[in-house]
Amino acid sequence: MILDRLAREVEALIFASEKPLSIQQLCECTGSGEDSIHQALDRLNKAFLDQQHALTIIDVAGGFRIATDSEFGGVVSQLFEGRKPGKLSRAALETMAVVAYSQPCTRMAIESIRGVNCDSAIRTLLERNMIRISGRMETPGRPLLYSTTQAFLEYFGLSNLDHLPRFDEVGELLGMSSSEMEERDLFGSDKE
Amino acid sequence: MTEQQVYTRSCRIELDSFEGPLDLLLYLIRRDEIDIYDIPVAHVADQYLKYIREASELDLDIASEYLVMAATLTKMKSKSLLPTHRFDGEDDVDPGAELRRQLILYRTFRDIAEELQRSEETWTEIYTSPGERDRWSGDSNEIEPGQASLLDLLKALNSLSEEEPEIPSQRIQRTLLTISECISTLEKEIVPGRTIPFRSIIGPKPARSRIVSYFITLLELIRRGWVCCHQAYPFSEIEIQRTERWSVDS
Repeated sequence: MILDRLAREVEALIFASEKPLSIQQLCECTGSGEDSIHQALDRLNKAFLDQQHALTIIDVAGGFRIATDSEFGGVVSQLFEGRKPGKLSRAALETMAVVAYSQPCTRMAIESIRGVNCDSAIRTLLERNMIRISGRMETPGRPLLYSTTQAFLEYFGLSNLDHLPRFDEVGELLGMSSSEMEERDLFGSDKE
Repeated sequence: MTEQQVYTRSCRIELDSFEGPLDLLLYLIRRDEIDIYDIPVAHVADQYLKYIREASELDLDIASEYLVMAATLTKMKSKSLLPTHRFDGEDDVDPGAELRRQLILYRTFRDIAEELQRSEETWTEIYTSPGERDRWSGDSNEIEPGQASLLDLLKALNSLSEEEPEIPSQRIQRTLLTISECISTLEKEIVPGRTIPFRSIIGPKPARSRIVSYFITLLELIRRGWVCCHQAYPFSEIEIQRTERWSVDS
């Protein structure tokens, strides 16, 4: 399969870019429309697949980038031994989940959902650049507000926040009072 | 499951494996196959308190959050046992409703955390170009002007203090003056028949160690009875005179 000019331009742009390239940037640089860029990306990924390359072009954190196949995770990780940070703890993951769905949110809000002190989990997430301080709430004490970062999207392979699991349902659930929650069984009481 | 079985089973589970009181409650609810929308408050409160009591018997450190929940459950239980007087116009608030809301919310986020963990599992094996790894090296993480957070500043400060600048080392010589050395010096200084002030022995602007060495030497000479000293009043000049025993003993 011989790739056309546009597909190869897109490939070159994504490869050379310092940051993930958004669809708009790809359109600008190549002078083509969004549809043709998407088609070019499909052709590229098909070519990668057909020729059994270890690479694919993925859509993550609001842009396109070239990524290795998870199959080669073990081999590639050797390059970064000792530098790659460890996996997140359960406390950190739960805190991450709360921030992701209710951002911007205060430490108090996170703790009222988790029912435990979240200081160290928040600190870990700040250090790992998964969340950032995005402002202060204009209430007494002006507590800090936390939001997720670009790095968070990249880390969990999300193209944007809407792609979080059950995004709309959880948002709705958060806004419910205790009596409203009574009436609607969103996730099935037999789940537990 | 009998009471005893429940007891032995729960004993083996440590409080550490729970992410707080809500997590523990959800565990108890699932274990006893309770419908989250119809929680028997008295039963759950009993089970929870039993668990906390066992944990404290095992000398486990119980975080205050667990105790707060224990108190809340006890309050809810006692309320559910007492007859309720309902006044007109007063809302009948179900004490279990708020707990239920908390449990459902927490359970939702716990499930999402699990999903995130699965994503983490997958994405940790995937490397992108340019990727997240740029950040692993730490210092290559450039921050645009105006974008630095308090944490960035603290990190920068920390990295500064970590980079221990090489302090130019300096060798400080300690002049050791032994008592015998001092004695041989004094032998020349304190000539028989003359009175020598202590100040003249130690010289002008003496180092502290020199004063101390000579003073101790002086005490030693007095002990041996080789000199006799005279001081008119406290802090005044010490006058030293050689005795005859010096020449006899040495």
